[in-house]
Amino acid sequence: MGGTLGLKLARVAVVVAVFLLWETLSRTGVVNPRLLPSASDSLAMLGELLQRASVRNDLIVTASEVLTAFVLAVPLGAIIGFMIAENRYFAEVAKPLLFFAFSIPKSIFLPMFILVFGVGFAEKVGYGFFSTIFIVIMSTTAAVESVKVEHLTVARSYGATTAQTAFRVYLPSMLPVLLEALRISMIFNLTGVMLAEMYASRDGFGHQIATWGENFQMKQLLAGVVMISVIAIAFNELIRWIETRCSHWRT
Amino acid sequence: MSATTLRRLIVFSLIILWEGLPRTGLIPELFLPSLSSTLIAGWNEAGEYGHALAVTLYEVAVSMVFACGLGILAGAVVGSLPRPRVLIMPMVSSLYAVPLVILYPVFTVWLGIGSESKIAFASIYGFLPTMLSTAAGIQTIDPQLLLAARSMGATLSQRLVRVIIPAAIPTVLSGLRVGGALVIVGVVVSEMLISSAGIGYLISRYRTILDSPHVFAGVLLVLAMTVAFSAALRWIEQKASIWQTGMRGGLAENRSVRPAALQPTA
Repeated sequence: MGGTLGLKLARVAVVVAVFLLWETLSRTGVVNPRLLPSASDSLAMLGELLQRASVRNDLIVTASEVLTAFVLAVPLGAIIGFMIAENRYFAEVAKPLLFFAFSIPKSIFLPMFILVFGVGFAEKVGYGFFSTIFIVIMSTTAAVESVKVEHLTVARSYGATTAQTAFRVYLPSMLPVLLEALRISMIFNLTGVMLAEMYASRDGFGHQIATWGENFQMKQLLAGVVMISVIAIAFNELIRWIETRCSHWRT
Repeated sequence: MSATTLRRLIVFSLIILWEGLPRTGLIPELFLPSLSSTLIAGWNEAGEYGHALAVTLYEVAVSMVFACGLGILAGAVVGSLPRPRVLIMPMVSSLYAVPLVILYPVFTVWLGIGSESKIAFASIYGFLPTMLSTAAGIQTIDPQLLLAARSMGATLSQRLVRVIIPAAIPTVLSGLRVGGALVIVGVVVSEMLISSAGIGYLISRYRTILDSPHVFAGVLLVLAMTVAFSAALRWIEQKASIWQTGMRGGLAENRSVRPAALQPTA
């Protein structure tokens, strides 16, 4: 983040202005309040939703799906990415294929996950995993390539052991890129799980949002959108904060 | 064995496996219909798929104009002015973390389930990344080029036409690549969710009646669309970089080769 106090205030002002605009548009009737309930009503609804047991249950379901997919995809993707980056021949073979796999829209394969796993937990995790792993592989490859050859040569010529090279050279140079990878893969992962839940599901927060949309329950819908956005942005900022700390430590 | 041959071999054997595994019954036809039955299914319903493709392409084209046009414009403005950049860029990249799919129900309530809601959703879906990548690219323009132009007395319009626009072309193209790919995703995703026409709708409809060959025919069609898009873009990129090398020597080559962060290059 960084920036001076004035900048932070300006950013807060922009966010406040957006909410004020939302409030006035709805209150003055410029936009039909049934299509855009006022910000205060939606935020009040958000508070009420958090009290409901069913909503909390949905949030727990979604969170467990997201976390399971994340825990599966990140280590596996990192290992594959590491192997690709370390082996020149393997890299030449696999890279174009991976780039292609990365560039195609993953969502069209969602029906396949439903056909194979049925509608449920495994399907959501599988799809979240599938939509995350390629970006993890690609970012890890980039992270390994960001290790400077000179550093490796120096370490080797001073007789560093493999463990020493891994922890003293690889990890510090890779950490900023890896953290960035973690951040971006979380974005992909969350999007994947939300989409899978909205597409076909019996529970989960994405399913709830889709239902509210179909029933024209705008207050609940907007409250849900605000809630997910706040959670996603908070996680993002947390990782970015760690990122700035780490790059500080590197230099 | 050279890497290229091995890669071709892998792709080739994948296609063979796609045909062979379902035929021998190792994978149930419901999960993965064989390639031939997929193609036959697609061919038999060619009229229906053609109509769906036309709807989808129309939505993609309109959204691309919005997403890439506005995204590149906004990115260029924000990227070249330091004050707004410092203020806005961190906010935009925070917004990027939000899973935008959750906005689609809002658009269906506002705009109905026709093409309008898809266009609105896909435009927003493609806008932010296009803007981010353009703004990042604009900053990579060598300030010395601008300084040299200014010190030799170039007017503003000369600087714009001779320096800024040629230097910005790789950036604009990479913005187009990111935004265009995302617009296609956005349109197909929104069609899959709630809609009454388009390829995504066909995929969803055949999925609910468990007609896998028709589902995969739709999937193949979307794949073909993305491949065609990236091939078209690569062709434009080549044209642009030839013109550029002619203008600014080897420096341009460096830049057009450099893959920007987070985007498919092959």
